[in-house]
Amino acid sequence: MCRAAGSGTVYGVRTSTNSPAVHGRDLSKVYGSGSSGDVRVVALDDVTVTFPRERFTAIMGPSGSGKSTLLHCLAGLDQPTSGQVFIGDTETSSLSDAQLTALRRDRVGFVFQAFNLLPTLTAWENIVLPLDLAGRRPDQAFADAVIDGVGLRHRLGHKPNQLSGGQQQRVACARALITKPEVVFADEPTGALDSKSSADVLGFLRRSVDHLGQTVVMVTHEPSAAAYADQVLFLADGRVVGELAAPTAERVLDRMKDLETAVAR
Amino acid sequence: MKRAMLRDLLAHKGRVAMTLVAITLGVAFVVATWVVSDSAAATSRGEGVRGDVGVSVRIADGAPELTVADKDRLAAIAGVASASGSVTGYAGVVGANGKLVRARPDKAGTGWDSSERFVLKDGRAPGKDEVALAEPQAREAGRKVGDRTRILLADGRSVDMVVAGLFTYRSLGEPDPVVAFGDPGVLGDSYARVELTARPGANVDTIASTARGLFDHATRTVDTGADLAAQARARADESARSSREGLLGFAAVSLLAGMFVIANTFAMLVTQRTRQLALLRAIGATRRQVRRAVLVEAGALGFVGSTLGAIVGIGLGLLGLVVNAPEGTSISLTITPTGILIGYAAGVLVTMISAYASARRAAAVPPVAALRADGSFAPRSLRVRSVAGLVTAAAGVVAIALTLRNDLSTTERIVNMGGGIAIWLGVLLLAPALADAVLRPVGRLLSRRGGPAARLGIRNSVRDSRRTAATTSSLVVGLALVCAFATLGSSITSMLASSIRATVPAAATVVTAPVDRVALGTDVLGKVKSVPGVDVVSADRYAFVKVTHNGSTSPTTMSAIEPDGVVRPEILEGTGDVRRGAVVGENEAAMIGARVGDEVTLVLDPATSITTTIVGLHKGMEGRPLFYVDVATVPAKFRDGAVTTVYATGADPAAVRAGIAAAFQDRPDVVVTDREGVIAEATESFELLMALMYALFGAAIVIAAFGVVNTLALSVMERTREIGVLRAVGAGRTLVRRAIRAESVVICSYGGVLGILVGVGFGAVMQHAMMGQSLWEFSVPYGIIAAALAGMVVVGVLAALWPARRAARTDVLAAITTA
Repeated sequence: MCRAAGSGTVYGVRTSTNSPAVHGRDLSKVYGSGSSGDVRVVALDDVTVTFPRERFTAIMGPSGSGKSTLLHCLAGLDQPTSGQVFIGDTETSSLSDAQLTALRRDRVGFVFQAFNLLPTLTAWENIVLPLDLAGRRPDQAFADAVIDGVGLRHRLGHKPNQLSGGQQQRVACARALITKPEVVFADEPTGALDSKSSADVLGFLRRSVDHLGQTVVMVTHEPSAAAYADQVLFLADGRVVGELAAPTAERVLDRMKDLETAVAR
Repeated sequence: MKRAMLRDLLAHKGRVAMTLVAITLGVAFVVATWVVSDSAAATSRGEGVRGDVGVSVRIADGAPELTVADKDRLAAIAGVASASGSVTGYAGVVGANGKLVRARPDKAGTGWDSSERFVLKDGRAPGKDEVALAEPQAREAGRKVGDRTRILLADGRSVDMVVAGLFTYRSLGEPDPVVAFGDPGVLGDSYARVELTARPGANVDTIASTARGLFDHATRTVDTGADLAAQARARADESARSSREGLLGFAAVSLLAGMFVIANTFAMLVTQRTRQLALLRAIGATRRQVRRAVLVEAGALGFVGSTLGAIVGIGLGLLGLVVNAPEGTSISLTITPTGILIGYAAGVLVTMISAYASARRAAAVPPVAALRADGSFAPRSLRVRSVAGLVTAAAGVVAIALTLRNDLSTTERIVNMGGGIAIWLGVLLLAPALADAVLRPVGRLLSRRGGPAARLGIRNSVRDSRRTAATTSSLVVGLALVCAFATLGSSITSMLASSIRATVPAAATVVTAPVDRVALGTDVLGKVKSVPGVDVVSADRYAFVKVTHNGSTSPTTMSAIEPDGVVRPEILEGTGDVRRGAVVGENEAAMIGARVGDEVTLVLDPATSITTTIVGLHKGMEGRPLFYVDVATVPAKFRDGAVTTVYATGADPAAVRAGIAAAFQDRPDVVVTDREGVIAEATESFELLMALMYALFGAAIVIAAFGVVNTLALSVMERTREIGVLRAVGAGRTLVRRAIRAESVVICSYGGVLGILVGVGFGAVMQHAMMGQSLWEFSVPYGIIAAALAGMVVVGVLAALWPARRAARTDVLAAITTA
């Protein structure tokens, strides 16, 4: 695999030149066989998406639109029924479990809705966990930049149960960035947070794209969260039904309303 | 509500599987104990006792035997149909391998008769120059009907006789004989017992009282056959009861280990279901209902476990009986409702008692907990528990400190042992705090060296110190008992060895019998003396006697020795010169309240006693007689006929040994050895006993191991989400497996170290309290400790197998998407 420092990266986020960060081609995900009383549910219906580097993309859609399934498939947590996923140049469906594990550890970052951290580890230990698992030492300058970015320098020795929900989520963000991954996947990262904490977390993700050259893909159902993104992808009934560049909360909300009425009809 | 809880229990069978194993094993132990002891009692009651004796006249221990004239006088009593005398004498069967069978030979010979004493199993009654052998010993000797076998007699003679038949014996309280001679004259013409049968219609009680009038009460005992039979049955029941009590002690240890496992499981189950319980409370369940529901759940689990335990127990009991019973003997398998009911009661009660604390905690869950996101309890403070532990342990230390002297009274011994138990309890109470205090620093140290798997595992093991402590508690109980008895055992064996070394010179050749404390043939002492090169010969004449001091009589042991002999007890006070009087063990003197200068009477047998003055105190030692007296002061019968060990030295010890060995080459009843041989012999049988003990305590350790599996499995379930996150950020399956294994090994090693420390400490207290050695004189059983530590690591690895596999299989997506 060819890796070179891409353009515009401040601290050398690893990029594979000339390819998008993440590309999903003809992705379908079907639950159930449809036979003998088993209900067949199509969560993803032939979706093709591309997420360019150093961009913050939000995926939105009504409940059951398949947005979380799409994220899980893209992130290698779930296998699509058909179709291909590329993280950089790597096609993930052919990878073994061990290879997928290494891919998640080294090239992908995760932020979940809640319960992101290991309760027995301190904030610092949680942040460097992926490096620890890989047997690598953190790049101190980069680590400092990330930690200052999330504003947690004075909290590094604390255990997760001594941190607020917002602080915990910022630790999770720092952990997602520490390996300089090709892409950070965030699944409703502000779903369990108040508006102030949400703003902190989203602001940090935004800055990681602007200053660190990071690529972020975020699933959310909050228009105000989507407004932090460079572009918004709308899903309904397992299909991509629209795109919105330079979103604002109002425009996203309007689109969502249209979508819901369209679905209702 | 109860139905909801029970359904929940059924839905999560995996969670309680290990608890069920713990209950089942504990109950199985109890039921098996009952089955074995009941069956053993029924077997000996059913077959062992005969009913054809009207009146039995026996000699008191050591009294002169009954003569033919005595028998004729008894036969002449009105109403007596017949009188038959039982000759009893020394008879040692030499097996096909040239060795003596292991039964005590001193009263193993008797004359054959057609009474109900003998049940012929094979062959026919022996004629002249023939013998019948007891079946189990014949098997041990490798002799069948028709074989010719050598039989050793008291005076060193031996006879070769044909085995005519094999018998089993029905005793009326006398020891079972091994050899029945067709011609009892081989053993002599006097009787140890004369048995009378009554004419029809005659009153046996009248015959008995007439017989009593004929003899001196001190030397002859007269009983009716019915009384003796009743006594024999009572003895069979009594021995069944005492063996049952002994085994139940071990079963109780298993149940105790099980209690920790059960309590821990329920604590975890309640924690995991906090939200569900809170929901029940929120929709209107009272505290009482919640508590009841948990207890009913425990009761149901106890019932299922007891049922399984009863079945397994009956199987185990049967197995034990079959393995232990000699081949060919029939066992009457007896399963009493009492045994089964007690098994059930133990199982259900133990489970419910163990679950009670969790039931209370479940009832205390506030309804609002249903709304809390993390759905867990705030960690409870360990302060109360730790303070209680400290106080208990401190009380134990004080009790031991007050009883450090070596010459303790019985009460003080109990206080001393109680102190040991208190420290033990204190440590169990302190276990969570200790886990925190010990494992955290150790974990930090190890973390720095090990990889991420070790780090995560160690972190997890100290995450809930109560849980870790509860998991290790059953390990601590089982291991501590093993180590305590190992310490006691190794202290006793090292004491035995040092007592033998202190009294027997290294260069001495030792001549003894293959069966402990059986008198040697009357010719042995003379033969040793006549071996060329032997300069000094002395003998031990070990005997169980009684001592009278200040009007009270108690049993004791004595040896008549040569004043200038090889054997020299270690003297603490006065003189060791037995020509001037008796030399007594220090502890024995304290026990009977005697001092140097006091006069004591040693009662050798009903007709013989010697009165002497205590002239010195020796350091009493295990396996050595308490009283030493000059052989010149005892009657001839106790001189050459009572020799138990002969010690010989000479200018050339090797030549002495070779000469004596040659002189007794053809004598399986004589063992020629030296000091180290005596030590090996003395410790060997003891070590066998210890091994049996370890096996019985082993059950508790097995239960504890299941407890570790249980804790790990439940912890893994509890941490599904966390493991999912770990996998999502890049931990491989191997790493997850290793982390669980590291956690398991840490928990087990902690339990192992704590158990070993507590056990060795308690062993030191036991040997102090039980044997009057100083507290620090214990010897450390290094072998057992090493085995225990290695064993705990193995248990740790094995216990983690299943939970680790489960954890490694965690589906990442499912784990992180289910809240």
